[in-house]
Amino acid sequence: MDEDILTTLKILIIGESGVGKSSLLLRFTDDTFDPELAATIGVDFKVKTISVDGNKAKLAIWDTAGQERFRTLTPSYYRGAQGVILVYDVTRRDTFAKLDNWLTELETYCTRNDIVKMLVGNKIDKENREVDRNEGLKFARKHSMLFIEASAKTCDGVQCAFEELVEKIIQTPGLWESESQNRGVKLSNHEEGYRGGACGGYCSML
Amino acid sequence: MAADSEPESEVFEITDFTTASEWERFISRVEEVLNDWKLIGISSGKPLGKGVYTTETWEEKSDEISFADFRFSVTHHYLVQESSEKDSKEEIVEDALPVAMQDLLCMNNDFPPRAHCLVRWYGLREFVVIAPAANNDAVLSESKCNLLLSSVSIALGNTGCQVPLFVQIHHQWRKMYVGECQGPGVRTDFEMVHLRKVPSQYTHVSGLLDIFKSKIGCPLTPLPPINISIRLTYVLQDWQQYFWPQQPPDIDALVGGEVGGLEFGKLPFGACEDPISELHLATTWPHLTEGIIVDNDVYSDLDPLQAPQWSVRVRKADNPQCLLSDFVTEFFKLCRRKESTDEILGKSAFEEEGKEVADISHALSKLTEPAPVPIHKLSVTNMVHTAKKKIRKHRGVDESPLNNEVLNTILLYLFPDAADKSADGSEARTSTSTGSLPPPDSEDYNIYIQFKSAPSDSLTYKLALCLCMINFYHGGVKGVAHLWQEFVLEMRYRWENNFFVPGLASGAPDLRCCLLHQKLQMLNCCIERKKARDEGKKANSFDRSSGDPGKTDLLGREFHKDSDKEKGEVGKSWDSWSDSEEEFFECLSDTEELKANGQENVKKGVAKESSKETLALKPEGRLHQHGNLTLLHSGEPLYVPVTQEPAPMTEDLLEEQSEVLAKLGTSAEGAHLRARMQSACLLSDMESFKAANPGCCLEDFVRWYSPRDYIEEEMVDEKGNVVIKGELSARMKIPSNMWVEAWETAKPIPARRQRRLFDDTREAEKVLHYFAGQKPADLARHLLPCVLHAAVLKVKEEESLEDITSVKRIIKQIITHSSKVLRFPNPEDKKLEEIIAQIMSVEATIARARSLKAKFGIEKCDEEEERKDLENFVNSFLEQPEVPVIGAGRGPAGTIIHKLFMNAQRVATMLPFDEELKRSGSSDEKRLSSGSVADFPSPAGREVILRMTIPRPAPYSKPLPQRMYSVFTKDDFRLAGAFSSDTTFF
Ligand SMILES: Nc1nc2c(ncn2[C@@H]2O[C@H](COP(=O)(O)OP(=O)(O)O)[C@@H](O)[C@H]2O)c(=O)[nH]1
Ligand SMILES: [Mg+2]
Repeated sequence: MDEDILTTLKILIIGESGVGKSSLLLRFTDDTFDPELAATIGVDFKVKTISVDGNKAKLAIWDTAGQERFRTLTPSYYRGAQGVILVYDVTRRDTFAKLDNWLTELETYCTRNDIVKMLVGNKIDKENREVDRNEGLKFARKHSMLFIEASAKTCDGVQCAFEELVEKIIQTPGLWESESQNRGVKLSNHEEGYRGGACGGYCSML
Repeated sequence: MAADSEPESEVFEITDFTTASEWERFISRVEEVLNDWKLIGISSGKPLGKGVYTTETWEEKSDEISFADFRFSVTHHYLVQESSEKDSKEEIVEDALPVAMQDLLCMNNDFPPRAHCLVRWYGLREFVVIAPAANNDAVLSESKCNLLLSSVSIALGNTGCQVPLFVQIHHQWRKMYVGECQGPGVRTDFEMVHLRKVPSQYTHVSGLLDIFKSKIGCPLTPLPPINISIRLTYVLQDWQQYFWPQQPPDIDALVGGEVGGLEFGKLPFGACEDPISELHLATTWPHLTEGIIVDNDVYSDLDPLQAPQWSVRVRKADNPQCLLSDFVTEFFKLCRRKESTDEILGKSAFEEEGKEVADISHALSKLTEPAPVPIHKLSVTNMVHTAKKKIRKHRGVDESPLNNEVLNTILLYLFPDAADKSADGSEARTSTSTGSLPPPDSEDYNIYIQFKSAPSDSLTYKLALCLCMINFYHGGVKGVAHLWQEFVLEMRYRWENNFFVPGLASGAPDLRCCLLHQKLQMLNCCIERKKARDEGKKANSFDRSSGDPGKTDLLGREFHKDSDKEKGEVGKSWDSWSDSEEEFFECLSDTEELKANGQENVKKGVAKESSKETLALKPEGRLHQHGNLTLLHSGEPLYVPVTQEPAPMTEDLLEEQSEVLAKLGTSAEGAHLRARMQSACLLSDMESFKAANPGCCLEDFVRWYSPRDYIEEEMVDEKGNVVIKGELSARMKIPSNMWVEAWETAKPIPARRQRRLFDDTREAEKVLHYFAGQKPADLARHLLPCVLHAAVLKVKEEESLEDITSVKRIIKQIITHSSKVLRFPNPEDKKLEEIIAQIMSVEATIARARSLKAKFGIEKCDEEEERKDLENFVNSFLEQPEVPVIGAGRGPAGTIIHKLFMNAQRVATMLPFDEELKRSGSSDEKRLSSGSVADFPSPAGREVILRMTIPRPAPYSKPLPQRMYSVFTKDDFRLAGAFSSDTTFF
């Protein structure tokens, strides 16, 4: 496809059902809000190409249902994901309380330990807020996550959330290269390095 | 100088050497490079601390320039001092000597264990070398050498660069350099003599002092004292009374489950040859003054035993043959084999499967006749069943790669349940003689997550180890193919006979493990479902009379057991794996109902459906009550139904599935289709729910399944009472959304009578087919992570016996490195080789530590403290190029070293005469004959550094540093002088 696409990133959206995962995704990909959006069955999938710091990245985003029953199925989708967006509804404390469960699940099934996590508190346009912004912040800090509050309805913070996440992934070495360019491990065998040069350890004398 | 006059052809050919333009161009290129590297101007720096040449890092920068068409490389070598980098910007003294001249006199870094030869000879911290760029090129004639040197001189003068600049002349191996360093009004010339044979007057200190003095031509009398540093190096090659203990295992011996003393499931370890070849003892007199010692052609005070400093280095054997490394390397080579199993074993490997299967099922149908007798025992003789027979058929009797005994041993090791009396599969995970495996949940145990291998007590891991050993000892790739074939047949046997595969964690495939492990787990999942189904049928037919209304199996699933079933069905149950299409989740007894609810029923439409509703007044498949929720219409308690378990998935299936889902695209239709494809599970759950809750509605279902989609609000009714009113969420109320659609389609059918969501028969066959198609190379790739994992555990285990800090650190690095490489699909061979090389180096290091410990007799040392010191001393060899001996010749380590040399000498003196005769000619031998000749051989190398500060060339010139380094060995003699002179006043 596009020549200048740096990489394809797999991103997963998780969280309790009804917190607005699909709406956030729709807002991000199509910049619309659809109050008639059907409840997700299983997993759904969308693609979007974005440009961060001049780097184009193609995002393959998997949206999950969130219901208890579907959950047995979703862990499989954690495989190979580089980023995950964990969403709660700021007007429903129970969705915030369930975050721990989601993290545990993430840790259990995620195949890599350096996955980038972002916490999103959604529906800030609504009146009846139950979860304070500071609580979200605290939770995110505790679990080394990115954090933002957003509204899929009014568009607040949505674009920003995805961009931050992608930027962070690109900054994480070894996370997005299809083959990590690790330098190899330096062994304590110092001598090897010197042998090639003009003069090694022994050669000056014996 | 270049006093040597070998008749050699000139390589440095320039058409017109004196062409001003070429020469000038060269000089300006040199200046340019010096400028680029910012080497212009005053070089400053503090005197260097002790040993910094070893502790800090050396770096170099290179560029290329040419003289006419002759290419030179220019290289800047310099010490990077991290510690003092920040405060190095100290005050610049205008007239100070260039730092290089100060370094000539500094005694803190004499005889560095590891450094560029110019550092060793002149003590410099920084310098630039111009050398022919091509390896075989050389500057040979004296006139050309002079021309280069004058270019250097001009470039230094023009730029004001104070870093010494050297030119390499003659052939590279001779390491001949001439150079110059300039400062304000001062200059140092670096000169060198290199000879094959040492003139006899230079073999001792007094002769060297003479030449130094005459070289300086100092006008002062008396001469200020000359500072002398001496190092004599002795080499020990003959480790007396010490034999490398380890022999390569005897591969032909197979005794009681062991091959050459090696059990299956264990990896070998250690070097087959002594990984330490030589010991070099350096005895140093760091600070002497002329007149304190006597060392001339008739007498010497330099007794190594009396030297104030001793240090030792060891020479390591290059690539000693190590067992673990060989094992792993050979296994890795398997990955590159091209042959298929069939090609290796002769065609047919899996060909006659059909026939064999028929045989087995025939045997089984016989077994089923005396009904309740299951096959409760697998015997090994039974196991070594078919592959071998087939190979025999096709390749002649004696040619099967693995003999019976080996094969039996391996199969027993892999499938211990075959020998257990109580082997019904449920206890298959009991570990038999797993040796020193890390306990579950320990850090070591969880290494499999990093390696994406398999737990160290798993069948997969054991299989990897067996294949590794077979590859090495039992017929290589043929043996591997043979064992694999047996293994696959065993898998089929277990599937067909409902025996669990042992050594696997139960439950869905663990995606953190290698694919092969996942596939084995998948097979177990299939077996579990099939077994439950078959046993359900059986139990039902046998228990019918007891009237047991229902029973819950291990998985909390319900067996339904009331009904009338014709006897005829029982026998058929054994064949249940063969017809997948009409299979039901837990198809049990209700044949009538089963038929009624079967697929054809769907087509019959609503008329029948409604009659069914009434029929199904009796609730079925309840798991438990859901809190105290009640159904909205009937007010009955709401029950959570028994549901079908989700299909277990291996990572390749998963990939396939998500690929299919992704391919549907992002259009509305695509999304709809995607949801539809995944709605089977939702539909099945709805049907189970309906069966468990007669008279329920969608709202009831949603309250259980997706509670946030049922919105309850407090309302005040017309009478003024507060009532809670609930309704479906907006998105659930969208007309004909998929939830509503599914709800309308769903019929009240309990899970056990629904069509299977997971077709175990098909999946099992897929797994078995996949197995059969694996070439030895595929297998090796699958299992390499397990082998690496095992190798790392082995290395860890061996290290813990020796306790070597550096090795601990490297092992940690290997694990992190591996986790980066192995968790990606299809890691590159180059990266895998890197990991293997790291493991090899660790094994060699541990072997070296053992060799050294044995040589220094640490085991024999009784005194606790002394032993600790010795241990530290020995371990230092693994990390440092040169280790100081505390207490020199008188310390505990020194005493041992002394003894080692003495023993070697004793043997050497008993050698035939010719060796002795040759040596006795040297003056050295003669002189020392009065001293400790019996204890030490003549030194393999003598290094002497002479230093002083005197005015030169005239008595009223500025006093400047002078230095001469000399080294002679058996067939090499070198003098490297740095002579400074005042260029302003003379
Ligand atoms: N007011 C408001 N409603 C939202 C917002 N995001 C989602 N919703 C509504 O919340 C409900 C659930 O949204 P959905 O995206 O389907 O949630 P999901 O189950 O997490 O995918 C829908 O009715 C949405 O219209 C938001 O930012 N503000
Ligand atoms: Mg959704």
